[in-house]
Amino acid sequence: MKSLLLFACLTALPMLAAPQQFQLNLDSVAAKASEHVDVSLNAATLQFAAKFLDANDPDDAKVKKLIEGIEGIYVRHYKFKSAGAWTQVDLEPIRAQLRGPEWSKIVGTTSSENGADTEVWLHLAGNKSIGVAILAAEPNSVTVVNIAGTIDLESLAKLGGHFGVPKVKPADKAHEEK
Amino acid sequence: MDWLEDELRRALAREDPPDGFAERVLARRERGTSSARRWLAAAAMVVVAAGAAGAWRQHQGNQAKQEVMLALRLASAPMDRIQSEIRGITQ
Repeated sequence: MKSLLLFACLTALPMLAAPQQFQLNLDSVAAKASEHVDVSLNAATLQFAAKFLDANDPDDAKVKKLIEGIEGIYVRHYKFKSAGAWTQVDLEPIRAQLRGPEWSKIVGTTSSENGADTEVWLHLAGNKSIGVAILAAEPNSVTVVNIAGTIDLESLAKLGGHFGVPKVKPADKAHEEK
Repeated sequence: MDWLEDELRRALAREDPPDGFAERVLARRERGTSSARRWLAAAAMVVVAAGAAGAWRQHQGNQAKQEVMLALRLASAPMDRIQSEIRGITQ
Protein backbone atom coordinates (compact mmCIF):
# COMPACT_ATOMS: atom_id res chain seq x y z
CA MET A 1 0.00 0.00 0.00
CA LYS A 2 2.87 2.33 0.94
CA SER A 3 4.71 1.57 -2.28
CA LEU A 4 1.51 2.22 -4.23
CA LEU A 5 1.16 5.61 -2.52
CA LEU A 6 4.81 6.40 -3.24
CA PHE A 7 4.33 5.42 -6.88
CA ALA A 8 1.26 7.66 -7.13
CA CYS A 9 3.20 10.57 -5.59
CA LEU A 10 6.15 10.05 -7.93
CA THR A 11 3.95 9.91 -11.01
CA ALA A 12 2.08 13.03 -9.88
CA LEU A 13 5.31 14.99 -9.32
CA PRO A 14 6.01 15.92 -12.95
CA MET A 15 2.48 17.28 -13.19
CA LEU A 16 2.97 19.37 -10.05
CA ALA A 17 6.45 20.48 -11.05
CA ALA A 18 5.39 22.73 -13.91
CA PRO A 19 2.12 24.39 -13.11
CA GLN A 20 0.91 27.68 -14.44
CA GLN A 21 3.46 30.28 -13.32
CA PHE A 22 0.99 33.03 -12.48
CA GLN A 23 -2.73 33.22 -11.93
CA LEU A 24 -4.67 34.17 -15.02
CA ASN A 25 -7.25 36.00 -12.95
CA LEU A 26 -9.02 38.01 -15.59
CA ASP A 27 -12.59 37.80 -14.36
CA SER A 28 -13.30 41.49 -14.91
CA VAL A 29 -11.98 41.25 -18.50
CA ALA A 30 -13.96 38.07 -19.12
CA ALA A 31 -17.13 39.74 -17.87
CA LYS A 32 -16.85 42.42 -20.57
CA ALA A 33 -15.75 40.17 -23.43
CA SER A 34 -17.98 39.09 -26.26
CA GLU A 35 -15.80 36.08 -27.11
CA HIS A 36 -13.14 34.27 -25.17
CA VAL A 37 -10.76 31.37 -25.67
CA ASP A 38 -9.24 29.45 -22.75
CA VAL A 39 -6.51 26.94 -23.44
CA SER A 40 -4.68 25.11 -20.67
CA LEU A 41 -2.27 22.41 -21.74
CA ASN A 42 -0.03 20.59 -19.29
CA ALA A 43 3.08 18.57 -20.08
CA ALA A 44 1.17 15.31 -20.47
CA THR A 45 -1.25 16.81 -23.01
CA LEU A 46 1.61 18.43 -24.93
CA GLN A 47 3.48 15.12 -25.10
CA PHE A 48 0.33 13.35 -26.20
CA ALA A 49 -0.35 15.98 -28.88
CA ALA A 50 3.25 15.73 -30.09
CA LYS A 51 2.61 12.10 -31.04
CA PHE A 52 0.00 13.28 -33.51
CA LEU A 53 2.22 15.88 -35.15
CA ASP A 54 3.54 14.64 -38.47
CA ALA A 55 7.31 15.07 -38.65
CA ASN A 56 7.05 15.07 -42.46
CA ASP A 57 4.68 18.04 -42.49
CA PRO A 58 6.74 21.27 -42.32
CA ASP A 59 4.27 23.13 -40.05
CA ASP A 60 3.80 20.14 -37.76
CA ALA A 61 7.56 19.62 -37.58
CA LYS A 62 8.09 23.26 -36.50
CA VAL A 63 5.46 22.93 -33.79
CA LYS A 64 6.89 19.60 -32.62
CA LYS A 65 10.35 21.13 -32.24
CA LEU A 66 8.94 24.22 -30.54
CA ILE A 67 7.00 22.33 -27.88
CA GLU A 68 9.85 19.96 -27.02
CA GLY A 69 10.97 22.02 -24.02
CA ILE A 70 7.55 23.28 -23.00
CA GLU A 71 5.93 21.98 -19.83
CA GLY A 72 2.67 23.88 -20.08
CA ILE A 73 0.85 26.47 -22.18
CA TYR A 74 -1.92 28.57 -20.67
CA VAL A 75 -3.73 31.08 -22.86
CA ARG A 76 -6.63 33.44 -22.23
CA HIS A 77 -7.84 35.42 -25.22
CA TYR A 78 -10.74 37.87 -25.02
CA LYS A 79 -12.44 39.78 -27.82
CA PHE A 80 -14.64 42.83 -27.32
CA LYS A 81 -17.41 44.21 -29.46
CA SER A 82 -16.21 47.77 -29.05
CA ALA A 83 -12.89 49.45 -28.38
CA GLY A 84 -12.41 50.61 -24.81
CA ALA A 85 -14.61 47.94 -23.30
CA TRP A 86 -11.74 47.04 -20.97
CA THR A 87 -9.40 49.31 -19.02
CA GLN A 88 -5.80 49.00 -17.79
CA VAL A 89 -7.23 48.46 -14.29
CA ASP A 90 -8.65 45.14 -15.50
CA LEU A 91 -5.12 43.94 -16.30
CA GLU A 92 -3.66 45.07 -12.97
CA PRO A 93 -4.02 41.63 -11.29
CA ILE A 94 -1.76 40.18 -14.01
CA ARG A 95 0.74 43.06 -14.00
CA ALA A 96 0.96 42.95 -10.19
CA GLN A 97 2.10 39.31 -10.37
CA LEU A 98 4.58 40.05 -13.14
CA ARG A 99 6.18 42.76 -10.99
CA GLY A 100 7.46 39.97 -8.72
CA PRO A 101 11.25 39.46 -8.53
CA GLU A 102 11.17 36.25 -10.52
CA TRP A 103 9.79 38.04 -13.57
CA SER A 104 11.82 40.22 -15.90
CA LYS A 105 10.32 42.27 -18.71
CA ILE A 106 12.41 41.81 -21.83
CA VAL A 107 10.39 43.83 -24.29
CA GLY A 108 7.36 46.06 -24.39
CA THR A 109 5.94 47.92 -27.34
CA THR A 110 3.07 50.34 -27.77
CA SER A 111 1.71 50.90 -31.22
CA SER A 112 0.84 54.52 -31.90
CA GLU A 113 -1.25 53.28 -34.78
CA ASN A 114 -3.78 51.09 -32.99
CA GLY A 115 -2.83 51.56 -29.33
CA ALA A 116 -1.80 47.94 -28.92
CA ASP A 117 0.40 47.24 -25.90
CA THR A 118 2.52 44.13 -26.08
CA GLU A 119 4.82 42.95 -23.31
CA VAL A 120 7.02 39.89 -22.99
CA TRP A 121 8.28 38.77 -19.59
CA LEU A 122 10.70 36.00 -18.70
CA HIS A 123 10.27 33.86 -15.61
CA LEU A 124 13.75 33.46 -14.18
CA ALA A 125 15.26 30.87 -11.88
CA GLY A 126 18.77 32.17 -11.27
CA ASN A 127 20.09 33.05 -14.69
CA LYS A 128 17.90 30.53 -16.43
CA SER A 129 14.62 31.29 -18.10
CA ILE A 130 11.97 28.77 -17.08
CA GLY A 131 8.93 30.44 -18.56
CA VAL A 132 7.44 33.27 -20.56
CA ALA A 133 4.51 35.57 -20.06
CA ILE A 134 3.02 37.47 -22.98
CA LEU A 135 0.52 40.24 -22.43
CA ALA A 136 -1.04 41.68 -25.55
CA ALA A 137 -3.68 44.33 -25.03
CA GLU A 138 -5.40 45.86 -28.01
CA PRO A 139 -8.50 48.07 -28.01
CA ASN A 140 -10.62 45.15 -29.21
CA SER A 141 -8.83 42.18 -27.65
CA VAL A 142 -6.69 41.04 -24.75
CA THR A 143 -4.40 38.03 -24.83
CA VAL A 144 -2.47 36.68 -21.87
CA VAL A 145 -0.13 33.74 -22.35
CA ASN A 146 2.00 31.77 -19.93
CA ILE A 147 4.40 29.25 -21.38
CA ALA A 148 6.13 27.15 -18.71
CA GLY A 149 9.45 25.64 -19.68
CA THR A 150 11.92 26.68 -22.31
CA ILE A 151 10.87 28.04 -25.67
CA ASP A 152 12.63 29.65 -28.59
CA LEU A 153 10.81 32.99 -28.82
CA GLU A 154 12.11 33.69 -32.31
CA SER A 155 10.68 30.40 -33.57
CA LEU A 156 7.42 31.23 -31.82
CA ALA A 157 7.30 34.61 -33.57
CA LYS A 158 8.05 32.89 -36.87
CA LEU A 159 4.90 30.83 -36.49
CA GLY A 160 3.05 34.04 -37.37
CA GLY A 161 2.04 33.56 -40.96
CA HIS A 162 1.47 29.85 -40.40
CA PHE A 163 -1.76 28.03 -39.49
CA GLY A 164 -3.80 30.87 -41.00
CA VAL A 165 -2.12 33.56 -38.87
CA PRO A 166 -1.63 36.64 -41.04
CA LYS A 167 1.98 37.77 -41.00
CA VAL A 168 2.23 41.14 -39.29
CA LYS A 169 4.03 43.75 -41.35
CA PRO A 170 5.88 46.73 -39.89
CA ALA A 171 3.52 49.72 -39.74
CA ASP A 172 5.36 51.83 -42.35
CA LYS A 173 5.59 48.91 -44.78
CA ALA A 174 1.90 48.25 -44.40
CA HIS A 175 1.26 51.89 -45.31
CA GLU A 176 3.58 51.69 -48.33
CA GLU A 177 1.68 48.69 -49.66
CA LYS A 178 -1.63 50.57 -49.38
CA MET B 1 -10.39 -72.26 -36.86
CA ASP B 2 -13.64 -72.36 -34.97
CA TRP B 3 -12.24 -70.41 -32.09
CA LEU B 4 -11.07 -67.65 -34.45
CA GLU B 5 -14.42 -67.45 -36.16
CA ASP B 6 -16.11 -67.30 -32.79
CA GLU B 7 -13.81 -64.50 -31.66
CA LEU B 8 -14.37 -62.53 -34.84
CA ARG B 9 -18.11 -63.00 -34.72
CA ARG B 10 -18.15 -61.82 -31.13
CA ALA B 11 -15.93 -58.82 -31.87
CA LEU B 12 -17.83 -57.74 -34.97
CA ALA B 13 -21.25 -58.50 -33.63
CA ARG B 14 -23.77 -55.69 -34.09
CA GLU B 15 -24.27 -53.95 -30.82
CA ASP B 16 -26.85 -51.32 -30.02
CA PRO B 17 -25.55 -48.12 -28.48
CA PRO B 18 -26.39 -47.51 -24.84
CA ASP B 19 -29.56 -45.62 -24.04
CA GLY B 20 -29.39 -41.86 -24.74
CA PHE B 21 -26.21 -42.14 -26.85
CA ALA B 22 -27.62 -40.20 -29.81
CA GLU B 23 -28.93 -37.43 -27.54
CA ARG B 24 -25.59 -37.16 -25.79
CA VAL B 25 -23.73 -36.89 -29.14
CA LEU B 26 -26.13 -34.23 -30.40
CA ALA B 27 -25.92 -32.33 -27.10
CA ARG B 28 -22.12 -32.35 -27.21
CA ARG B 29 -22.18 -31.13 -30.81
CA GLU B 30 -24.56 -28.35 -29.83
CA ARG B 31 -22.36 -27.39 -26.88
CA GLY B 32 -19.34 -27.24 -29.17
CA THR B 33 -21.12 -25.04 -31.67
CA SER B 34 -22.43 -22.60 -29.08
CA SER B 35 -19.00 -22.43 -27.42
CA ALA B 36 -17.41 -21.62 -30.79
CA ARG B 37 -20.10 -19.00 -31.33
CA ARG B 38 -19.32 -17.52 -27.94
CA TRP B 39 -15.61 -17.37 -28.76
CA LEU B 40 -16.35 -15.77 -32.10
CA ALA B 41 -18.59 -13.19 -30.45
CA ALA B 42 -15.96 -12.48 -27.80
CA ALA B 43 -13.26 -12.12 -30.46
CA ALA B 44 -15.48 -9.79 -32.47
CA MET B 45 -16.14 -7.71 -29.36
CA VAL B 46 -12.40 -7.46 -28.66
CA VAL B 47 -11.77 -6.34 -32.26
CA VAL B 48 -14.58 -3.77 -32.10
CA ALA B 49 -13.43 -2.51 -28.68
CA ALA B 50 -9.82 -2.22 -29.88
CA GLY B 51 -10.99 -0.36 -32.98
CA ALA B 52 -13.16 1.99 -30.93
CA ALA B 53 -10.33 2.62 -28.46
CA GLY B 54 -7.97 3.38 -31.35
CA ALA B 55 -10.48 5.75 -32.95
CA TRP B 56 -11.09 7.47 -29.60
CA ARG B 57 -7.33 7.86 -29.04
CA GLN B 58 -6.94 9.31 -32.54
CA HIS B 59 -9.81 11.72 -31.86
CA GLN B 60 -8.29 12.78 -28.51
CA GLY B 61 -4.88 13.18 -30.14
CA ASN B 62 -6.24 15.34 -32.94
CA GLN B 63 -8.13 17.44 -30.41
CA ALA B 64 -4.95 17.91 -28.32
CA LYS B 65 -3.04 18.81 -31.48
CA GLN B 66 -5.66 21.40 -32.46
CA GLU B 67 -5.48 22.91 -28.97
CA VAL B 68 -1.68 23.14 -29.19
CA MET B 69 -1.99 24.81 -32.60
CA LEU B 70 -4.57 27.26 -31.24
CA ALA B 71 -2.44 28.10 -28.19
CA LEU B 72 0.67 28.66 -30.30
CA ARG B 73 -1.28 30.67 -32.85
CA LEU B 74 -2.55 32.99 -30.09
CA ALA B 75 0.92 33.21 -28.53
CA SER B 76 2.77 33.78 -31.79
CA ALA B 77 0.63 36.69 -33.00
CA PRO B 78 1.85 39.20 -30.37
CA MET B 79 5.43 37.92 -30.70
CA ASP B 80 5.28 38.42 -34.44
CA ARG B 81 3.84 41.90 -33.91
CA ILE B 82 6.63 42.85 -31.49
CA GLN B 83 9.27 41.56 -33.88
CA SER B 84 7.74 43.50 -36.77
CA GLU B 85 7.49 46.70 -34.74
CA ILE B 86 11.11 46.39 -33.61
CA ARG B 87 12.14 45.70 -37.19
CA GLY B 88 10.15 48.76 -38.29
CA ILE B 89 11.93 50.96 -35.72
CA THR B 90 15.40 49.72 -36.54
CA GLN B 91 15.00 50.02 -40.30
